[in-house]
Amino acid sequence: MSRPPLRLTVNGAPHELPDVPGEERLLDTLRWRLGMKGTKEGCRTGDCGACTVLIDRTSVLACLTLAHEVEGGSVTTIESAGEPTLERARAAFQAAGALQCGYCTPGFVVALAGLLAERGASVTEEELLDGLQGNLCRCTGYAAIVRAVRGAREGAP
Amino acid sequence: MSSVVRPDGAEKLAGRAVYGTDLDVPGMRWAALVPAPVAHGRIRRLDLAGARALPGVVAIGPKELAELLPGAAGDPERPLFPPDEIAYLYQPLAAVAAPTLAAARAAVGRVHIEVEPLAVVADLESVFPEWPGSEAGGSPHVAAHVRARHGPVDAAFAAADRVVRETYRTGSIHQVALEPHACLAEWQDGTFRVRTSTQSPFGVREDAASILGVPESSIVVEGTWVGGGFGGKGASLLEPYAMALAVAARAPVRLALSYAEEFRLGRTTLPSVVRFETAVTDGRIAARRVQLLLDVGNSLPGRDFATGYAIGFLLGPYRTPAFEIEGYAVRTNKPPFGPHRAPFAPQCAFMVESHLGEVARQIGVDPEEFRAAHLWRSGDTTPLGQPVGAFGLGAALDAARATARRWRAEAPPGRGIGVGVGFWSTSTGAGAEVRLRLAPEGLTVVQGEREIGSGSVLVGVRAVAARATGLPPGRIGIEYADTARAPYDSGVFGSRTTAAMGRAVLEAWAALRTTLAERLRLPPDTLLALAEDGPAIVVEGGGRRAPVASVLTAEERGAGGLETKGRHFGSGGAIDPQRVLDGSFYPYTDFTGAAHVADVSVDRATGAVRVERYAAFHDLGTTIDAASARAQVEGGIAMGLGTALTEEALWDDSARLENPGLLDYRIPTLGEVPPIEVTLLPGHPGAGPFGAKGIGEPPIIPVPAAVAAAVADATGAHVTELPLTAERVARALKLL
Repeated sequence: MSRPPLRLTVNGAPHELPDVPGEERLLDTLRWRLGMKGTKEGCRTGDCGACTVLIDRTSVLACLTLAHEVEGGSVTTIESAGEPTLERARAAFQAAGALQCGYCTPGFVVALAGLLAERGASVTEEELLDGLQGNLCRCTGYAAIVRAVRGAREGAP
Repeated sequence: MSSVVRPDGAEKLAGRAVYGTDLDVPGMRWAALVPAPVAHGRIRRLDLAGARALPGVVAIGPKELAELLPGAAGDPERPLFPPDEIAYLYQPLAAVAAPTLAAARAAVGRVHIEVEPLAVVADLESVFPEWPGSEAGGSPHVAAHVRARHGPVDAAFAAADRVVRETYRTGSIHQVALEPHACLAEWQDGTFRVRTSTQSPFGVREDAASILGVPESSIVVEGTWVGGGFGGKGASLLEPYAMALAVAARAPVRLALSYAEEFRLGRTTLPSVVRFETAVTDGRIAARRVQLLLDVGNSLPGRDFATGYAIGFLLGPYRTPAFEIEGYAVRTNKPPFGPHRAPFAPQCAFMVESHLGEVARQIGVDPEEFRAAHLWRSGDTTPLGQPVGAFGLGAALDAARATARRWRAEAPPGRGIGVGVGFWSTSTGAGAEVRLRLAPEGLTVVQGEREIGSGSVLVGVRAVAARATGLPPGRIGIEYADTARAPYDSGVFGSRTTAAMGRAVLEAWAALRTTLAERLRLPPDTLLALAEDGPAIVVEGGGRRAPVASVLTAEERGAGGLETKGRHFGSGGAIDPQRVLDGSFYPYTDFTGAAHVADVSVDRATGAVRVERYAAFHDLGTTIDAASARAQVEGGIAMGLGTALTEEALWDDSARLENPGLLDYRIPTLGEVPPIEVTLLPGHPGAGPFGAKGIGEPPIIPVPAAVAAAVADATGAHVTELPLTAERVARALKLL
């Protein structure tokens, strides 16, 4: 008996994907089935955070998430345009120059957007930084990222 | 005025930037490498039939390669696949390509390998349990031997008030660029087209041509965005495998490493043992002896770059009237040694600074005062006989010591403050060429390097062009071209990129200015500049102001602009050949210094070190772009904190890497990097344009030294091994 198609919404666009194997990871569905390469593949073992995406408003590691776990859900990736907290995080990273090679950047920006959306206007800088502990960056020494986080929090609408 | 906003920010923040790992074309095959099952052994049988039996799989080993590319045996020292003897664990013995990654991995599992295991050399100290004599230079276990000597060493030791002897050990580290190596190769009508994440497209072309035995003219390399390099992406690693498979499969082939493979196959810094002997008379260094054993893995004799390069750092930036220094590059069954941001220099600085600190303590003087008294000053000559030139380390150390005094005065009990210094050189010597293209609407620098993240190309080269021509940076384009179209550049490494390419920009601008002066009927040396005039660009100077459109020929306007070329091949200073007894020592191009201050707390139960705050003072000559320079210092310090405290690749007795993952190989996380104060010190010009010095590598160099000095200050623990893990600090404190 064949598995029913996988239904999920990515950045507002609905998808119905046939023949997605049960063991396929959401990261591969996004990158290789949908061709959305903005979500980065780093360690693939859940240690670096480069593949962070939002499911509904919660950040998850796409490398550790099976695609079928997200059945019926809504995924937000770095390619999303117009989502308010993501735009705020993106603008804060640009204003602070909080990126160098850019490989960890989508994961950081999406994770920050998730924290801003989940915790609302009362979120503290400490809570935001704590929520980003699982994202690794090798270029910036995190200094500019900390400045971006500060900017994103203060830039609350 | 430098802006923190990055020109590549918008593309990277939108998720549109294409990296090596993102490469994907229709009809592409996925490749995988067949790993050697032992670290040393003789291949008795390599049977690819099982892999080939799977649908759509091609598999190549040494035999198939010789048929596909008969010239591939042209470089017997660097075979793509070893025909006979395995040199390190996971060394690729064959490669496969398949319609999917899962199929490629399944095919790897179907390869039948029979190996006769040979004795594994996992540890350099097992090669030389006793310190070798100079005759060991001819040993098959030694890839290089270097030795230098100057002054009355033996007499100074015989007459010394005190001799301090210490042995230090340093561990193995990995670059940990978050993007693993990845590339895609195509082969059509005898031409290879390779897209890859690299610090050196021209280096990849040269390497791949040599390894595959094909002409460089048959290879076009195009760089993608690079997800971190740090030295690990400076030469070819995967490209020749993907290229050979593309010939075999007659289809595009993508090859990317898993992160575990990235750790296992990456070329990086391996362990060392260093012996110091310092003779002190009247409170001053009278003579030094330094011996280095450096693990260079499977580096082949004549191919070791590290030893002669690194060993200069073991004398430190200190006046040394007499010395003898000797180094052995020791071969083991590990992958070859490769560059890691300032290769081996942070380890050397840690050892030199810690040892001289110990010397000072033993003779009862302040360690910082002792080091300051011996520091090279502008106009000095290095122990190897090279003039130091303009060198700002003295000013940096003075500033660092002032900060250390202030921090000590305000530090809560239990905290420790340490100062460390290091030096580096702006390696402009490797060749750089650029073209400048002047069009009616703007100026473009055409060049052959992708931006690896430091800003050296997109920010640095642009800022140099702006400063030279007078145009605002926003009107200057940086155009990347592949190796078929771009002028040559040797690579983004060695803190050289902005400096060397910037010097080439200045030369191209001088040529452009001469042409423009001719066309404006002005003397050829007229100081012309470019300026904005609405959407147009105008040439100004010598009392003239003319739109660029009016000075270009119709042909140039049609071709997109008037082009000139600039090149820069800097020369290193000279080492005194009389001081060199064996091997090659590398001369530096200029000298740049940095002094750092670390403020740490140490857990008295576990030995765990936490860095609470940090300050860095850098001799930078003329600053080209302050925001990028600061960003390099912040990032380099964070990386150095990993080298200092937590990062260690652990090899077991069978030369197997025990911790090939980010959970067990710990790089600093957001909560572990303290606030960093950065001060850029002008006034000591270097080899770059306008007297600039490089800043990619200097920030990592003093970090382990500063942290170790702070740990000693906090606890009295004198740790002689790097990294300063909690366990090593606890042992030094006799907690274990």
